Amino acid sequence: MYRLNDVTKLYAKGRQTVPGVRDVTLAIEDGQWLAVQGRTGHGKSTLLSLLGGLDRPTSGTIEFDGQDLALLREGPVTRLRARSIGFIFQTFNLVPTLSAAENVEAALIPLRTGAAERHRRVNAALESVGLADRARHLPGEMSGGQQQRTAIARALVKEPTVLLADEPTGNLDEDTRDEIINLLEKLWRERGLTLVLVTHDTAIAQRAQRVGVMNEGLLTVRPADRAG
Amino acid sequence: MFFITYLRRELRRRMRQAIFIALGLALGIGLVVTVTAASAGVRRAQSDVLKSLYGVGTDITITGKAPKPRLPGSGFAKGGQTFEVGPGGAQVCTKGKCRDAAGQRIDHLDGGSYSPISQSEVAAVARLKHVKAAAGGLALSDTSITIPTNFGQPGGSLPTPNSFSVQGVDTSQLSLGPLSAGTLTAGRSLNGADAAADVAVVDSGYAKSNKLKVGSTVKIVGHRFTVIGVVAQPQGGSPPQVYIPLARAQALGKAAGKSLKNDVNTIYVGATSAADIPAVQAEIKRLLPGDTVTSASSLASEVTGSLSSTARLANDLGRWLSIVVLIAAFAVASLLTMAAVTRRVREFGTLKALGWRSRQIIAQVLGESLALGIVGGAAGVGLGFAGAAIINAVAPPLSASIANSTGQQIVAAGPGGPGGPQNFAPTATHTVAVPMSASVTAAALVAAVVLAVVGGLLAGSLASWRIARLRPADALARVA
Repeated sequence: MYRLNDVTKLYAKGRQTVPGVRDVTLAIEDGQWLAVQGRTGHGKSTLLSLLGGLDRPTSGTIEFDGQDLALLREGPVTRLRARSIGFIFQTFNLVPTLSAAENVEAALIPLRTGAAERHRRVNAALESVGLADRARHLPGEMSGGQQQRTAIARALVKEPTVLLADEPTGNLDEDTRDEIINLLEKLWRERGLTLVLVTHDTAIAQRAQRVGVMNEGLLTVRPADRAG
Repeated sequence: MFFITYLRRELRRRMRQAIFIALGLALGIGLVVTVTAASAGVRRAQSDVLKSLYGVGTDITITGKAPKPRLPGSGFAKGGQTFEVGPGGAQVCTKGKCRDAAGQRIDHLDGGSYSPISQSEVAAVARLKHVKAAAGGLALSDTSITIPTNFGQPGGSLPTPNSFSVQGVDTSQLSLGPLSAGTLTAGRSLNGADAAADVAVVDSGYAKSNKLKVGSTVKIVGHRFTVIGVVAQPQGGSPPQVYIPLARAQALGKAAGKSLKNDVNTIYVGATSAADIPAVQAEIKRLLPGDTVTSASSLASEVTGSLSSTARLANDLGRWLSIVVLIAAFAVASLLTMAAVTRRVREFGTLKALGWRSRQIIAQVLGESLALGIVGGAAGVGLGFAGAAIINAVAPPLSASIANSTGQQIVAAGPGGPGGPQNFAPTATHTVAVPMSASVTAAALVAAVVLAVVGGLLAGSLASWRIARLRPADALARVA
C-alpha cells in the first residue's frame, strides 16, 4: 500500500537546513502494523506527517495506493485523508467545546454524510470503543483514557484503511495504556487496518509486526520480536 | 446543524471576548444609527423650516431686489411719514409737512425690504416653459408707533413700536405661497370671493398672543379686517402673522412712500417637475434680471442659526466620529478574532488532519464572526433607538435664521445724525424655533444591517487568511 523511495524532508531553522527524515525507503503492506521508535526529535512525527499527507517531502516519492502524495495537489490529498486515513494524537486533540459524539461526528463532516447516517455511525463507533454511555460528555468531563478512546472512535468512524497513531499512550497511566493498546490491537485485527504507531515504549512496539527505529532521520526496519 | 452547534459552543466558550467584540460593534453601529437619526431629524426640521418660509408646492420664489438704504440727509420719501428728533424737538412729518410729535401715532404698511415687481410679470412668469403655476404676493409689515405726550421732556417715556407682518395672498392661486403650508385650525381660508373684501386669516401663534378668534377684527393701517380663519404653520415657525387678499394689500401697502397698486414684491412659482427647477430658475433670471430668484435648495444654504450648526455637527462631526468608532470597533474585533484563531491553531490543525478543507474551517470562523456582527448590529440598533430617544429628550429646540425682511422700516433722526433720517430697523432676520425630532429611519436600519455584516466579515477575514495559510503539520507540531 505505502511505497516510500528515498524520502527526505528538510526544515529551515534560521539560516540552517535541518533534516527531519533522510533517504527513507520503506514499503508498508495492507493490514500491516509498523511500530516506529526513536528518540525525541529524530523524525518519528515527521515520518507520520508525510505518511498522512500533512506535509510534503523535500525529495523522494510517497506512493499511497499508486498515487504519489508528494505530487498530489492539496485538494485531492485532503479528500484522501478524509476518506482513508485516521489519526490518533498523544494529546487526543479533541475539540473542547464539542461532546464525545460531536467530536466523532466531526470526522464525517468532510464526507458530506447525511445526518441520520452520521448519527448511526457515530453511535456504532462509540460503542466499539465502549463509550456509548459517554456520548454527550465534553472532553473535560472525561478521563484521559476515555478521551483517547473518543479519539480512536473519531479516527475509525469513517472506516479508513490506514490508522496513524502518534504516541497514543504517551499521556496515559500504565493501566489505561494497556487498555488503549489492547483496543487498538483488537480493532487492527478486526478491521484489517494498516497501522503505523509511533511509540517510545518498547513493550508496545514489540506487539507490532515490524519495528522501525528512527535515528537522526534515518529509518531502520526489522521484524518485531513478538511475544505472542 | 453541526455547523450551528459548533458555532454556538465556541462563542459560549469565549463568552467574555464575544461580548466585548459585539459591544464594540454595537457602539459603532449605534453611533451611526443615532447620527443618521439626528441627521434625518435635522433634515426634516430644515424641510419644515423651508416649507414655513416658502410654502408647500412652491419650487421657486422671486423677490424684488432690496431697495437702497436711505442715507442720512437724503430727505423724505415721497408720501412717507417719518418721525424726527431735531433741534426743534420731536416731529412727525408727512410729505414734508411737520408737526409736534407728542401724542401722535404713526402707522405704516410697508414692503420696504423688497422692491416692487409689476403684477404683469406674474403672468409673464406663468407663461414660461415648465412653469405649472405662478402667484404674486406682497410681504408687508404693519408698524405703528404712538409717541408719548411727555416724549422729549426730562424723564419722559420713549415710543415703543408695534409691528406685525402682513401677507397679501393671491386668492385665485391658493396652492402656492406661505398660506399653502398651513393647516386651518378654525374658520375658513381665503377664497376667490374674498378678493376685494376686508377679511383676514391669522396665524395661530399670533391669534393666541393677541386673543384673536374667528369674528375678531385686526386693524391694518387703520382699516378693520374681520378674522375668518386661523391657520397653523409647520414646526411652530415664524410665518406671516396676518394674511389678507392681495388686492387689499396692494391698496393699503406702500414701498418707499409709493403705492403698491398693481405691484407685488414676491412671486411664488411651481415647476412642472423637480427636474425642471434649474431650467425654470435660469429662464426667470433671464426674464427678471434685477430680481432675486431662489429655489428651496438655494434657500436651504442660506439658513443659519443653531439648526444650521446642528446640521453641520450631525453631518460632519457625527459622521467622522461614527467612522472613527466603527474603524476602531472593526480593528478590535479583527484583532480579537485573530487572537482567538491563534489559540485554536491546534484545533484547526486537527480538523485539517481529519480531512476538513480550509474553506470549511474558514466558513466556521466567518460564521462565528458574522454571528457576533449580527448580535452587535442588533444591539447597535437598540443603542441607536436609545440615542435618538435621548436626543429627543434633552436636545433644546433649534433656531433657524434667514435674512428676510419683515417690512419694518422705521426712520428716526438719531443722535449720531442730526438733521437726517436714519434706518431704525430696516430689515430683520427671520428666525424660526424648530423642535428637533430624531427618529430612526429605514435607511439607518439597512445601514446597521450592512455594517453588522461587513464588521463581522472584516473581523473574520484576517483570521480566515491565516487559516488558509495554515499547514496542518505545523499546527500539529505546536501540540507536540
